[in-house]
Amino acid sequence: MHKALVSRHIVSGQGWMALKGLSYLRRYWQLYALLVLPVSYFIIFKYGPMYGILIAFKDFNFFQGINGSEWIGLDGFREVFAMPDFYKVLRNTLMLNFLDLIVSFPAPLFLAIMLYELKIGWFKKLSQTILYIPHFISWVIIGGIVLQVFGTQSGMINNIITSLGFDAIPFLTDKKDWLITYLAVGVWQSAGWGTIIYLAALTGINRELFEAADVDGAGRLRKIWSITLPSLKPTIVTLLIINLGHMIAIGFERPYIIGNTAVRDYADVLSTFVYRIGIESGQYTIATVVGLFQALVGLVFVLGANYASKKLADQSIL
Amino acid sequence: MRDRNASRSFDLINTLAILLFVLICLAPFIHIIAISLSSSRAIMSGDVSIYPVEINWGAYKQVVTDMSMIRSLGFTILLTVLFTVLCMVMSIAAAYPLAKTKLKGRKVVMFIIIITMFFSGGIIPEYMLVRNLHLLDSIWALVLPGLISPFYLIILITFIQNIPDSLEESAEIDGSSYFRTLTSIIVPLSMPVIATLSLFYAVGRWNGFTDTLMYITSPELYPLQLKLYQLVQNNMVTDLIAAEGASGRQMLQPESLKAASVIFATVPILIVYPWLQRYFVNGVMLGAVKG
Amino acid sequence: MKQSRKGRKTASTLLTATLVGTMLLSACSNSGGNEKANESNGGDKASSGKASTLKVEVFDRGNSPAGSTITNNYLTKLVQDKFGTPNNINVQFVPIPRSEEVQKLNVLMASGSDVPDIVFTYDSGTFYRYAQQGGLTDLGELLDQYGPNLKKFLGDETLAYGQYQGKQFALPAKRSHLGKYSSFIRQDWLDKLNLPVPTTTDELYNTLKAFKEKDPGQTGGKVIPLGMALAPAQFEPLIWSFIQPVTEEQRYTLTQQLGSNDYPVLLPGFKDALQFMNKLYNEGLMSADFSLDEDKKKLGEDAAKGLIGFYSEDDMNPFYADGTYATLQKNIPDAKLSAIDVYTNSEGKHPKPEYAPIGMYLMIPKSSKHAVEAVKYLDWMASEGNLFDMQNGVEGENYTLQNGVPIVKTDASDDVKNRIYNWGDMAIISNGKQLGDADKNVEAYVYGMPEAYQDETRKALTISRSDTIKPVLFDHPIEAQAKYGTALRDKLNEIIVKTTMAKPDQFESTYESVMKDYMANGGQAILDERTKAYEAMK
Repeated sequence: MHKALVSRHIVSGQGWMALKGLSYLRRYWQLYALLVLPVSYFIIFKYGPMYGILIAFKDFNFFQGINGSEWIGLDGFREVFAMPDFYKVLRNTLMLNFLDLIVSFPAPLFLAIMLYELKIGWFKKLSQTILYIPHFISWVIIGGIVLQVFGTQSGMINNIITSLGFDAIPFLTDKKDWLITYLAVGVWQSAGWGTIIYLAALTGINRELFEAADVDGAGRLRKIWSITLPSLKPTIVTLLIINLGHMIAIGFERPYIIGNTAVRDYADVLSTFVYRIGIESGQYTIATVVGLFQALVGLVFVLGANYASKKLADQSIL
Repeated sequence: MRDRNASRSFDLINTLAILLFVLICLAPFIHIIAISLSSSRAIMSGDVSIYPVEINWGAYKQVVTDMSMIRSLGFTILLTVLFTVLCMVMSIAAAYPLAKTKLKGRKVVMFIIIITMFFSGGIIPEYMLVRNLHLLDSIWALVLPGLISPFYLIILITFIQNIPDSLEESAEIDGSSYFRTLTSIIVPLSMPVIATLSLFYAVGRWNGFTDTLMYITSPELYPLQLKLYQLVQNNMVTDLIAAEGASGRQMLQPESLKAASVIFATVPILIVYPWLQRYFVNGVMLGAVKG
Repeated sequence: MKQSRKGRKTASTLLTATLVGTMLLSACSNSGGNEKANESNGGDKASSGKASTLKVEVFDRGNSPAGSTITNNYLTKLVQDKFGTPNNINVQFVPIPRSEEVQKLNVLMASGSDVPDIVFTYDSGTFYRYAQQGGLTDLGELLDQYGPNLKKFLGDETLAYGQYQGKQFALPAKRSHLGKYSSFIRQDWLDKLNLPVPTTTDELYNTLKAFKEKDPGQTGGKVIPLGMALAPAQFEPLIWSFIQPVTEEQRYTLTQQLGSNDYPVLLPGFKDALQFMNKLYNEGLMSADFSLDEDKKKLGEDAAKGLIGFYSEDDMNPFYADGTYATLQKNIPDAKLSAIDVYTNSEGKHPKPEYAPIGMYLMIPKSSKHAVEAVKYLDWMASEGNLFDMQNGVEGENYTLQNGVPIVKTDASDDVKNRIYNWGDMAIISNGKQLGDADKNVEAYVYGMPEAYQDETRKALTISRSDTIKPVLFDHPIEAQAKYGTALRDKLNEIIVKTTMAKPDQFESTYESVMKDYMANGGQAILDERTKAYEAMK
């Protein structure tokens, strides 16, 4: 209804439009007023520093600053694209993120539904609180614990495996086994934290729907499928779109801390690459080039995902 | 009858699965507590797993009697509260108009916001902006640059869009202004997500320290996590630190002190969630519809 | 459809407008800010009949004891009272987080303001970058004019490391003890098995085998004959002992400097070293998880638990109070750890690298208006026992003198001990205590250890200083090393890990492929540049 109304305003003549615009503003000025501060925030604090992107096209010199450094056009991009390791870390980034999308993205959803289904009130509250603890433990400490748990020689899991008479599994030093470790640690670290948002969404469910389903004799799984999940759909779709936008971005700490030299063929990703080549070696041009590349690809991904979700699920974030 | 059995075994399996996951999540935390209470001999020999060996409260005594830690705790609480309140005010103000798909110019604003999820100027221009605004070495340097997370804003918008239009329209018919609708209908109905995002912002601020490394030089303005990071990180052996030779070695801190500091810095923020849980009571919205 | 296209168009126009607008805005405000900063600096100068301000960087490690802060403590007061006030200079310390020092320094340098007058870093790459980009003050004349004591203290060998294309752009701190590594063996195990102390690599191999087979520590099969970690202290002594005697030309061209250390990746014998490690690993004589142990934590634990028979380590590392040896003896009271020098090369020597004779690179940014005061400050530190006082505190309270060597008073109160808690970071012209000659410097370390371990420490410190290989110094920096150094340092680890952990029959092919990867990602570039630089030098 509203949409049709608004678009009719737009197609009408110019003078009419100005007049209409004025009355539109008078009607809605409060909404625009609310936006003034937030939009200024984005312009000052986010767009203000954005001239830093120019570093990608300059031979950055610390003492000449961004304005004073010499232009090099696309040479920075050429240099990055000529590095043999760049393609390896790009592939790894996409691979790890794709696996995360399959495994780590649904995990909090399942966990949230399981928590929602818990019947014992105090246990529900207590377990929610405990499940999100791993989110608070810094990666440096997690790294030490991972070694104690997954180590080949004296890791806890391998101690059990060898005491049962099997061969130790190189969870950390074999590339393929390492992927499992990487995913497991990711789920462990973030699933509990991720449930919070779904649990908030679940508070919106109309309890009467469950009562009606009970009358129809629906089983537990049936109710989850046809009541709980649909009510989470908007949240899931929103998170999924944003996640897809970040397919090419990857956090630094998880692959860096869980990764090790033996599995660098899989564990070396864009963020660790930039850290090593760009930041540690002071080559800000390289770092900015990679960042700009990631941003462009990310934007394309998120717009694509948004478009697809608009077509398929009639929901979009734009 | 069979249905009830099925339902009961579902509950049992579900409860056990959660219990298992709970234990896995709890174990590392217990491990850190165990370390904080153990002797340095036991820690250095790798004897400590989930219970303390040769119990010793010295590390906690040291943390609690360190005035700079206490002051830092106070500052971090102040910082987190200030940050969270401002973030939420700004986010709600932005989300309400942006939730209205019919609003002219909405797409433009959304696009401006989404761009910032991907493009950023980088550390040097950001530092110069903070400096030019004369925010360096003040609490505002840790508050203003991170006020709105586009990601959380989008979540908030999604939630507000899911509030039944009928509720809002009834207010509009009453002739209530948008400001009033926002404060008297939207905010109360969005409490679960507001609580969630407050938690996200608060935890993000509590745990964040990379900006303090850049913007803060006065020790009075060190948040807890920065002190913690220094404790934990400075012991990392890298080629660079190895170049310090013996003079670096004398600066190392005992493991138990690190662990005790981790606990000291983590517990305050951990208890925020149980406190927020009351906003997660099922059926909040339903009640509002009826009322 | 039409509508959405229109929307997109307005969006992009608006976006461009905001972008341009903010860029202008920030450009304006930038220059405005700079002008202001200059003005206020000028103001300082104008009224400098009063005190001028000297800003000095200091590492912040978050370890300030209660009652003092990193910018206000015994040592900062000492500097102000003894140097600042008499010279009408207000000395201000600017804390920089230790772990992010290079990054923060980069940002400060790029922002062009608030940069301390004296900055420093251990990272040679950062120094060369700043020098190359023209951001540092040439200190040659200033040093002659205002820093005679400093110049004498540092000496020509040290100063050479601070030169870039013939100009003195940095003053490297002087290192007091150049030794790096020693090796350690469980003497009580040898005694139990009636074995002699091994003196060559071959004998060591047999000893390791005996440790494995006879398990003299009764570890229940957990014995680790050779303790290994993925850290230079563990693998360097082993690897260097396999390197063949080389000509000077080979030494210059084939060495690869990655980060601050020289590595023999291309020198003859490197492959033999890897082959030996491969053998040890596959025969179960070496820590199985060494590739996961970059911070040596596991190694320390295993050694303290008494599982390790032999390992190499930083020379005095095991001997600190509450360190590895102390913990080992708490766990196994009759355990005995001896320092030995055993890896032997084809000439019968025990080669191992030593430190460059320098510590941090001290630099004065070009933008500093207080270069004279800065040099005066460093000169003050180098003269009349000031350095000694900063490093050791007060005689009779913090230490007593014995043959010119300060002995730390361990029974001093915490308040007294804490006075000099960060002397290593404050006494920036020196790395380690300077007592006149290398032997005395070493004694200072020895007396810092628990009494029971002092003899063994002295032995380890002697070992670490013998048969050492000096770092190769060119007269100008190798750019490819600055560029690829950190990345190749990781690749070197990869070479070691992959070749060591390969099945013996796959050693050759693994070696070929990792070396190819290494050369392609910068190794060749470094080799080419070093070859050229060597020819130019001749």
